[in-house]
Amino acid sequence: MQVSNSKEILLWLIRLRQRYRVTGASMRPLLTDDDEVLVDLRAYRRQQPRSGDIVIAQHPTQVGLLIIKRVMGVHEEGLYHLQGDNSDPSQNSPSLVTAQRIKGRVTSLFTLAT
Amino acid sequence: MKILTRTIKEYFPAQNTVSAHCDGPCGVYDPASARIAAEAALSMTKKILALDPNDQNHATVNSLSRFISIKEEQAQLAKTELLVLWTDYFKPPHLEQYPDLHDTFWKAAKLCSAIKVEINLEKAEELMKVINKIHNIFWATKGREVPFYSAS
Repeated sequence: MQVSNSKEILLWLIRLRQRYRVTGASMRPLLTDDDEVLVDLRAYRRQQPRSGDIVIAQHPTQVGLLIIKRVMGVHEEGLYHLQGDNSDPSQNSPSLVTAQRIKGRVTSLFTLAT
Repeated sequence: MKILTRTIKEYFPAQNTVSAHCDGPCGVYDPASARIAAEAALSMTKKILALDPNDQNHATVNSLSRFISIKEEQAQLAKTELLVLWTDYFKPPHLEQYPDLHDTFWKAAKLCSAIKVEINLEKAEELMKVINKIHNIFWATKGREVPFYSAS
């Protein structure tokens, strides 16, 4: 994932990117606890999520919980298969969500955890 | 740029968080929720079939409409509950132990879809059998003996 460049920072300043702090380990090694990312909440207004995109989505069953995962594929009934990058199964379980639950695409790594 | 973003983070940390935990932290799973929804869809299917389609009075039409609505809603709910169980609870080691796990869930999800769009008693009863199988697998993975039961 690219580190936020001046264009990304500018987009964040004019509120076309939102900053989120990551909690948890399911996206290791790409993202670790306390990293911050920039997210484009308009990314999927005109196009559908694609395999490989890192997205934030509403948890399929827990109201109000936002999750960050990678799109692994699209099932025949319009369900998106999301999964973290962590290869340890105990740290990572897949989720199936509808397109409406995918809220935005992660566009850059704002800064690493300190 | 790194110094800038690090400084921003230090003095103005992001207020919003996104969870990269293994999944939702509750960890509470039980096939009973799918069973209840599937059983409701089965019950509605039976009630629909018990109505006379040639009886055009308002009470019958009203009942039919309600039964169909509830059947579709509960069949969809059963499917959602099964998909959550499939994707969030079961892990690769379970698949090694139960090689037909994916096929079982896939079949169950397809049955939910069919029950939703059709009036098919045979498939509604078949779904209960598949959920019974999932129930047995689920509790076996937890090392517990929990007998399967239905409300009706």
